[in-house]
Amino acid sequence: MTRFLRRDFLKGMATIPFLGYFGLSFKQNILAEQAKSRTNYLDDLGIDHLDILNYQIPASNAKNYKPIRIGLAGHGWRGPVLLRALGFAHPTWIVENTIKGKPNEEVSLFLDQEDLNLKLTGICDTFSLRAESATAASVNDIHPGAKNGNRKPAKIYASYSQMIASGEIDAVIICTPDHLHTQMATEAAKAGIHVYLEKPMTHSIEEAVALRQVIKSSGIVFQLGHENRQHMSYRIAEELIKKNVLGAVSMIETFTNRNDDFGAWIRPIDKRGTPQTINWKEFLGDTPWQEFNPDKYFNWQRFDEFGTGVTGSQFTHYYDCMNQILHLGIPESVAALGGTYHFKDPRDIPDVMNAIFNYPKRGFTLTYDCTLKSNKFRPMTILGADASMEVGNNLDIFKDSLSKRYTKIVIDPSKPIYNYFPDPRVDGVTSATASAYIKSGFGRTLVERKIVDTTYLHMKEWIDAIRGIGAPSCNIDRGFEETVTYILANISLKEKKMVSWDAIHEKAVLS
Amino acid sequence: MSNIDTSRDRVTRMQIFTLTFLRVVIGWHFLYEGLAKLYSPGGWTAELFLANAVGPFSAVYKSIATNHTILMVVDQVNIWALIIIGLGLFAGIFAKKFAILGMGLLFLYYFAYPPFSGYSVSAPVEGSYWIVNKNLIELAAMLVLYWFPSSDITGLDKYLVKEK
Repeated sequence: MTRFLRRDFLKGMATIPFLGYFGLSFKQNILAEQAKSRTNYLDDLGIDHLDILNYQIPASNAKNYKPIRIGLAGHGWRGPVLLRALGFAHPTWIVENTIKGKPNEEVSLFLDQEDLNLKLTGICDTFSLRAESATAASVNDIHPGAKNGNRKPAKIYASYSQMIASGEIDAVIICTPDHLHTQMATEAAKAGIHVYLEKPMTHSIEEAVALRQVIKSSGIVFQLGHENRQHMSYRIAEELIKKNVLGAVSMIETFTNRNDDFGAWIRPIDKRGTPQTINWKEFLGDTPWQEFNPDKYFNWQRFDEFGTGVTGSQFTHYYDCMNQILHLGIPESVAALGGTYHFKDPRDIPDVMNAIFNYPKRGFTLTYDCTLKSNKFRPMTILGADASMEVGNNLDIFKDSLSKRYTKIVIDPSKPIYNYFPDPRVDGVTSATASAYIKSGFGRTLVERKIVDTTYLHMKEWIDAIRGIGAPSCNIDRGFEETVTYILANISLKEKKMVSWDAIHEKAVLS
Repeated sequence: MSNIDTSRDRVTRMQIFTLTFLRVVIGWHFLYEGLAKLYSPGGWTAELFLANAVGPFSAVYKSIATNHTILMVVDQVNIWALIIIGLGLFAGIFAKKFAILGMGLLFLYYFAYPPFSGYSVSAPVEGSYWIVNKNLIELAAMLVLYWFPSSDITGLDKYLVKEK
């Protein structure tokens, strides 16, 4: 029995009135706080939903089709990535990415890919060691959908032409230095072989006109390697633009900011690369003969006879993102300035450059700024009269402080009114160049709440299209628009003059 | 059983008031944290918090974020633990048991982002912390609540505690 006095007895209830106050008021406070910090104003933007958020990756059902025989041209920097996207990983890559018997996230993502029912039957690379390395990938039994082995080694061809003529290839992946792209894609298309071509498509406007003709008349399935086409943030951006969230767009800004040797195309020279192990003549392709030069071989991006400048190597990425979102097409005129001011090593390409692409009928300009001496990250930005959009791996929309359209939304102007922020694990990289790559919205994306490699999706789209399912998103017309646009900038830079596009005769005209 | 013998005035009224105040503010904090998560639009998840964890045990936290089923369980356990611990401390019921549970939660939060030198957190944080941060201070305060309970005097525990 308790023998408390009444006053003492009530002491046990001392905090209950405060709990009562809390109970009556907390919900209102939570809702007020949430209203202040919310970053999704879709309703206020006049959008009830985004269709693209319901996007599902189409099933390939590859088992129902006969295997496609794949040939690979070029197994250097990009080749192994493309092979993995198709389900062929080098055994060393698997070992390096397996920790204490457990595959890391990269390998898990690889194994989660759908088995596309492919055979890697042919390989050619002008550096014999790289070709041999690709063969090891072709027979690796660890791959998506693997139950047992039976993979046959891919054949190494001494030249690309031999591989195309072999009759053993249905589709080819071309990820060689830029100067070989047109010649190789043309040869494949003429032989009726489907083409996945890494960007940029060609070295000149004339080549682009000719290649487009060949591809269209051949009827093959052509995909240009721009995996941003598969990235959710760009697809969301495209829908937001279509729904006119930004109002009248007046300017589009794109950037390359790099500040390391790798980013400036000063890359390691493999000592094993000698005239004995490198087929220098095949590497030169149609370019005039010159003596063997390992720097030019391993760092071809810096030299005009092989590479396509910072515009071909870098701007093409951002152009295609913006072309995907805004359907830019070819600009009416282009002016570019810059030069090689910082790097003293042999190089033909600028390390500082600005280009302006003029679209008078659309009411906007597109700009591209490139510096190889600053790593300050600047996101691609689309400036509209009512709001601006920063887009890369994430997407943010900021309202324009003087626009009358979104006055209902009261928010700190530095905070986005719409924000797409995918899973943080999408960004799981360390090196500066790789980190900028992911931030810019390449690499991985999030679909159906799953992390997926965009290169895999892009190549799968191509494979599906070969089997008659869907169509490639970066087809020859998109490739043509991009090629002409970046080459106009290169001409302007070289000639120090404005260049216009004669759309009727499909020619660049110096002003 | 009460550890504080009020009959002999070994704790003053101000001391009891202070301990009660400490218990209520910590209870308030836990309860509000839990309810704010419960009412979060679209559902709250610790996924970002766990996936970005730093420090010597980050792999454990990250592994929770990558497993959808475990993550869902962890999310619900966290929300309801915060609410129940908050209510317990606030009203002073099973306050000592909840103080231990609360310390357990704070311990887990602390080691997800331990303020040791060398572990940088990418998100900007207010204030400067080295080894000691607010989680650790709240944990220490709960240790006080455990050893100097007030709920048997100014809480519902009073009615559960039998007299000697």
